[in-house]
Amino acid sequence: MTRIAAGVKVGQELPELVKHPTTRQLVQYAGAQGDFYEIHYDQDYARRVGLPGVILHGLLKAAFLGQLITDWIGDEATLKSMEVSYRGIDMPAHPYRCRGKVTRIEGKEVELEIWGEDQSGRRTTVGTAAVTMR
Amino acid sequence: MTIAIVELIDRIKTRIGVDGPPVTATVEAGHVRRFVEAIDDPNPRWTREAPPTFLVALASASMHLGDAEDFGTGWLNGGNRFEYFAPVMIGDEITAVSHLEDVFDKAGSSGEMLFLVFETDYKNQRGELVARLRGTVIRR
Repeated sequence: MTRIAAGVKVGQELPELVKHPTTRQLVQYAGAQGDFYEIHYDQDYARRVGLPGVILHGLLKAAFLGQLITDWIGDEATLKSMEVSYRGIDMPAHPYRCRGKVTRIEGKEVELEIWGEDQSGRRTTVGTAAVTMR
Repeated sequence: MTIAIVELIDRIKTRIGVDGPPVTATVEAGHVRRFVEAIDDPNPRWTREAPPTFLVALASASMHLGDAEDFGTGWLNGGNRFEYFAPVMIGDEITAVSHLEDVFDKAGSSGEMLFLVFETDYKNQRGELVARLRGTVIRR
């Protein structure tokens, strides 16, 4: 894991995190979160409501972006906030690439732009986060 | 359809700001382990502490509003905002209280959509606010 350094700069990119979600993982996540909405594990149901197949939980993508940040900050900072908008669907068996960039530094407060990309580079999740350096 | 959604929104609006029943649950080591296995985050820190989005597994990020299901055919998650005030450790007893913050409609590419915004406060066994979650769910 690459960690946040004392010399963090505006414009600096976070080390990217690439996840490889599977349908098995969606079932695991459904159970662990307690979200049993069928669009995440029942292909027929998902297609009946107009989706191309089962899709990732928005909150699973939020968890991936949370990991992007906590991997980066380690013990050197505290996560204060994270906000994400789900702009597009993501399907299992396709890599999900989590990325981020430092947008502002004010004393110990560091603001980030974070996003998740699908295989074609489309940002299907966009958001911001704030961390406080220890 | 337009008149129906206006009436539905007026009906749902009466719930804005009304707290739902509190949900209390212990942050169990086994539950956190299953959660971090599911999100595939091997950080050893999660053997002591809950990862950032775990709270949604303790209490749902949105209240069930059956009325909203009178509209459209399915739910979508629009977004989430997590604010953190104190760490959530394994063994903590967390109480979550949710309320509806807003309801509105918007025209999207696939037609009219109904937006519901919920806010949930999570407090620990010492009564400290540990996190606040805002969630936007879309009915379409």
